[in-house]
Amino acid sequence: MSILSIRDLKVEYATQDGAVEAVDGVSLNVAEGQHLGLIGESGCGKTTLLKAIVQVLPRNGRVSGGKIMFKGMDLMQLPAAEMRQLRWREIATIPQASMDSLNPVQRVGSQLMKLLRVRGGFDKRAARRRAVDLFDMVGLDTERLMHYPHEFSGGMKQRAVIAMALALEPSLLIADEPVTALDVIVQHQILEVLRELEEELNLTVMLITHDISVVAQVCDSVAVMYAGRIVEQAAAEPFFASPAHPYSLGLQQAFPNLARPRDVLVSIEGYPPDLREPPAGCRFAERCPFVQEACKEHDPRLEIVGDNRLAACLRTNEMDALRVQAEDPTLWQHVEVAQLVGQPPPKSPPTGQCLRDPIAMERDLNAPPLAANSVETLPLPDASDARHRDGGKGPGGGVDDILLEMRDVSKRFKIGGGLAGLLRGDKEQTVYAVNNISFTLRRGESLGLAGESGCGKSTTGKLLVKLLDASDGEIVFAGEELSGVDDKDLLAFRSRVQLMFQNPFEALNPRFTLYRSLTEPLIIHGWKDENERTQRVVETLDRVNLRPAEVFLDKYPHQLSGGQLQRVVLARALVLHPDFLVADEPVSMLDVSVRAGILNTTRRLARELGLATVYISHDLSLLQYTCDRIAIMYLGEIVEIGPSDEVINNPQHPYTQALIAAVPVPDPTVENPPLRIREGVPRPTEQFAGCPFAQRCPEVMEACLSVRPPLIADERAHQAQCHLYGEHHKSPKLNHDGAAPR
Amino acid sequence: MSRGVAYYILGRFLQSVMVLWIIVTLLFLLFRLAPSNPLASYIDTTFTKQQEAALLARFGLDKPLGEQYIIYLVNLLKLDLGDTFSYSGKTVLDILGADLPNTIYLTLTSLLLAYAVGVLGGIVMAALRGSWIERLGTTFTLMTRAAPQFWVGMLLLTFFAFQWKLLPSSGIGPPMVRYRWETEWDKLMSPVFWRHMILPTFTLALYLHGLPLLLMRSNMLEVLDQDYVTMSRLAGYSEWRVMMQTAARNAMLPVLTALTLGIGYSIGGNVVIEHVFSWPGLGRTLVRAVQQADYPLAQGAFFLIAVIIVFMNFIADIMYSLLDPRVGASAQAQVS
Amino acid sequence: MQQEASVRAEAPSKAAIQFRQGSAIRQLWETNLEVFQRDRMALFGLFIFAVFAIVAIFAPQIAPNNPLTPLKNNEGDWIKDAMPYWLAEPGEDEAEGYSNTFLLGTTNIGRDIYSQLIHGSRSALLVGFSAAAAVAVIGTVVGLLAGYYGGWVDAVLMRAADVAFGIPFIPFIIVISAFMDPSIWNVVVAMAVLLWRDTGRVIRSQVLVIKEQAFVSAARVSGASDLRIIFVYIAPSILPLSFLYGSFAIAWAILTEASVSFLGFSDPETISWGFMLQDAFNSLALSREAFYWIVPPGLCIMLTVMAGFFIGRGYEEVLFPRLRRM
Repeated sequence: MSILSIRDLKVEYATQDGAVEAVDGVSLNVAEGQHLGLIGESGCGKTTLLKAIVQVLPRNGRVSGGKIMFKGMDLMQLPAAEMRQLRWREIATIPQASMDSLNPVQRVGSQLMKLLRVRGGFDKRAARRRAVDLFDMVGLDTERLMHYPHEFSGGMKQRAVIAMALALEPSLLIADEPVTALDVIVQHQILEVLRELEEELNLTVMLITHDISVVAQVCDSVAVMYAGRIVEQAAAEPFFASPAHPYSLGLQQAFPNLARPRDVLVSIEGYPPDLREPPAGCRFAERCPFVQEACKEHDPRLEIVGDNRLAACLRTNEMDALRVQAEDPTLWQHVEVAQLVGQPPPKSPPTGQCLRDPIAMERDLNAPPLAANSVETLPLPDASDARHRDGGKGPGGGVDDILLEMRDVSKRFKIGGGLAGLLRGDKEQTVYAVNNISFTLRRGESLGLAGESGCGKSTTGKLLVKLLDASDGEIVFAGEELSGVDDKDLLAFRSRVQLMFQNPFEALNPRFTLYRSLTEPLIIHGWKDENERTQRVVETLDRVNLRPAEVFLDKYPHQLSGGQLQRVVLARALVLHPDFLVADEPVSMLDVSVRAGILNTTRRLARELGLATVYISHDLSLLQYTCDRIAIMYLGEIVEIGPSDEVINNPQHPYTQALIAAVPVPDPTVENPPLRIREGVPRPTEQFAGCPFAQRCPEVMEACLSVRPPLIADERAHQAQCHLYGEHHKSPKLNHDGAAPR
Repeated sequence: MSRGVAYYILGRFLQSVMVLWIIVTLLFLLFRLAPSNPLASYIDTTFTKQQEAALLARFGLDKPLGEQYIIYLVNLLKLDLGDTFSYSGKTVLDILGADLPNTIYLTLTSLLLAYAVGVLGGIVMAALRGSWIERLGTTFTLMTRAAPQFWVGMLLLTFFAFQWKLLPSSGIGPPMVRYRWETEWDKLMSPVFWRHMILPTFTLALYLHGLPLLLMRSNMLEVLDQDYVTMSRLAGYSEWRVMMQTAARNAMLPVLTALTLGIGYSIGGNVVIEHVFSWPGLGRTLVRAVQQADYPLAQGAFFLIAVIIVFMNFIADIMYSLLDPRVGASAQAQVS
Repeated sequence: MQQEASVRAEAPSKAAIQFRQGSAIRQLWETNLEVFQRDRMALFGLFIFAVFAIVAIFAPQIAPNNPLTPLKNNEGDWIKDAMPYWLAEPGEDEAEGYSNTFLLGTTNIGRDIYSQLIHGSRSALLVGFSAAAAVAVIGTVVGLLAGYYGGWVDAVLMRAADVAFGIPFIPFIIVISAFMDPSIWNVVVAMAVLLWRDTGRVIRSQVLVIKEQAFVSAARVSGASDLRIIFVYIAPSILPLSFLYGSFAIAWAILTEASVSFLGFSDPETISWGFMLQDAFNSLALSREAFYWIVPPGLCIMLTVMAGFFIGRGYEEVLFPRLRRM
């Protein structure tokens, strides 16, 4: 029996440009005890749906039609006071950005107890007892009740919010992106808490997320939302085994899977329709590779397509065939291009031979595109830039080929000291953001840096592009040591090394047109001729698949979608034809559907230009997809480095093993193993005589506490900094409960 | 209070002392290096050279500048602000000591009134955002901030004191009564004194209420957008609780800081009001001292006002770090 | 590199070249335009300033009399305390031997109040705009330098701001006027010396935010110099904030000038609205209920100050949309 039943719900926002139906005719049932995952990319209306259910829509939003029934009550007809009573006792919500959902100036315990007393009618002592129980339940130390939110880590805050949500034993829990922005190990632990509580308390859960692997891990059924509509609803296993809507198909192909890596990830190019003027036909038509003329005229309804499955597509009966076609990644391209020049996508999607090489696939894209004013296939003049500088040595083997070498590089930050520090009588403390790391990078090679937040990977990136100077050690770039360069050489260095940023919405000056942003590096490097500059800009835009380039020149950043912006960021990085690119979390702010597109383009251009690349990411599956080698960082050190497949499939260091085990797999039939790692990253100011990971390590031995492990290599250049593989491997194991706390 | 916070306070205190020292030095330089001799107006043309020299010696003006500076600092530390020129036989401290309480009564009463009205008004304005009441209310508040205080005072005086003769027009009491108050307590207990307070207090409060009102309004709007406010709505707290207990409480913190700062700045800024209502406070004394070229008195009054301002700035800093645990923590992080 | 680029003879499209003009100045102009397009009150404020500016420029032509000269009647006596003609008893002026054309009457020594009011707009606007410009420029430069360079530059400038925050403003002007010849410029100097503190602090914190944004790092990675980063990347983003503080500074300067004149520390040869009110106050106009003398200068001050507020709030609306009055 369904506990929550939504019928044809419409939610409208009043905006300056007229009304927008953010939720447009959504129907959804949630049965008692069901764990429903609601998937969709940003702006699809999933959070609006939540807000409509609990009736906290912003001022300019209103429910313009439909019904929301909860346990037989029509929520829309319920008086405000009764609705308020319902909240938290019956329907509890973990809001998005729940990190900021705790009042910063009140102790967490007081907030929880106030909730229990005001909303739950507990007396003071009962509230305290219950608060202690709740903290216990979500795996928080009860001493933490006395702490302020800012003293909590992200994961702890999330646990506290879960504790608050469960305080009054609601029958329905709605969680909006509960693990987004958490590190993978913490994410794993939070999901574990959720999963356990679901079973323990027999909760009904509606989980809203963009991450299908999270849904695969904790939900038993799935609903996919797109542009204000539900496009597919099904039980989890059939959904993941055989999606019934082209969008779901695309999402799955776009999502990296560590357990079953794909050779090519697809990108669903383009972006959702403007809901101010929704298209007459299917809303996915513009991005759909299977689009037919009928799709543009007829709006498909959500219909039963099988056993307990619903989908909204005109071609559902051909779905088995389409699924086979969808395996071909080339199918998913060309759409953005078509959308930009205002022409329909190719009538008949290319079928048949399946191009497995993303580079070839991308190059295919580079063939003369649709618009007449576009550039013909570009020559590859630009690897030549690099070659000229080094006396004609092209990419190839050999030691000479080393572009960059980090030798025992450290970066320390001092905190404290100064007058105030002197007063305290405290010594200044040192944070070892990067601690003694070494690696080399060849021309054209790609290296991934992975690790939890605060592990020093971004600092390493900044050292590489000389946004920061190393405290110790040497960074040698193209045979030149970086610390001693003078201004002129620095400028030359700047033209050869570029950085790509995490947040495309911040990476471009909002006051500059794209032309201005792209031409700046050229002006700085002395390109005097306006025509030449413009030509280079146009050429580069074209190269990152923003076509026709002229259309983009006078745009401002806010006029572009995130995916397009990130392409512009890439174009700016490449406009000077550098030799070396550092990409710091290049796609983490983007929707899954367009991530692969950016990665594919970056990879293609890196190969075309002979570019060495360092990718920095928390996402191992992404690095596995893009990098030749992967380095795992922990507390400023590289604990493991080796060829990507080696590191992922045969991790040596216990930390790497934990990281990989924690990555959720987008497949409900694969259950993540429990983590054996202990919680809590030590403070970065702590210094260790032995291995920095020893405190958390399930395999900890005596030697680990006193002797610093060296990097130990196996025959495939796979190195791990761990005593398990060195002379101390017989050191006695320490008795250590090892098991991960809940 | 943790060690970190204690050291933060100590650091802030030392910083305030430094600031005060710099101000005092600037003050010294201003008065000593000014183009006109500080005694110029005091020295009559009939003075003989000897008389003039004796006078200079009496005020220590014949010594080298460095020595004068040391003497000046030592005297300040001893709270010896010197003798006045214009009030015979009185020290600067006597005069200022008599003025300070009057200024404080006026300032505190007006500030409390203004902040009570302002905070409530700000909450109401935020709750009524977009309505015509809000538009009218904020326009009125802007007008009170734009109108010169002395002009509002003059208008009120014209009506209440001269046209309708309801309230006294100047001073803190009729001249006879004024000297009958033996102690400050007597003064405070006297209805006559309070009757004289009404107009200046109201005028000042009318001006002062704008800052807390506008600040509270914008803080409320900001806080109401925060996730934790949404969270308390989601948790089913009543709208009253959400507004008052969560939003208003958090939005109040900067307003409390503003109040603390306001005490300092109002004591220094009451000059105009005190002048209009002939209120015997620090500001009026400063104006008179400058008009009569009574430099020791002017210097002393300025010094006292600066001390109060620097002290209140210090208190505001400390208070904020105690009220908002986050600020305390980040301050601590800066220190540690 | 450039040779390589010029190998391709294909000229860039015309449209492409036009966009090179996306300059910071145009951007700034657009922001300012947006303020006045979006906010009718800001536009109204601008209108008030425009009206007063015209009055100030043509003051000698508009004012019927010299504001400082006491007027005399047929018998050579001063026309003291004449009522405005629309309030005066009919025939009173003839009895006194002059024809009453005074819109706002005369002062106790026979000066024409209306002419004074017209001329008063000059000092108000002069002080208002020059002090505001000084405050905005100093504050912006200090904020930019302190925020961008940090370290000891920041420490020195911010301690200087602390000192400025410790100095009481009105008393400071009073003390200064004790040593300087009375002049409206005293107020301007005092404001420039002290009031940059607020603007400086706010701009500094804004610079700290912008400095950390990725587009600034991107410029640095591209090899942009410090000066280029400050002036091309950071300054355009904070200039609207300077305008905001500048508009409020106009208001404060006008108010302050009025207060100082009222206290009697202004140049008696320069007519200002504050001076007029002082004159009225000292000559007991209050007890005579001479509203025609007291009200107009105060209203003028209030109007010009509000104009500054309106414009400042217009900038706030655009810069901090959250506070928007929907």
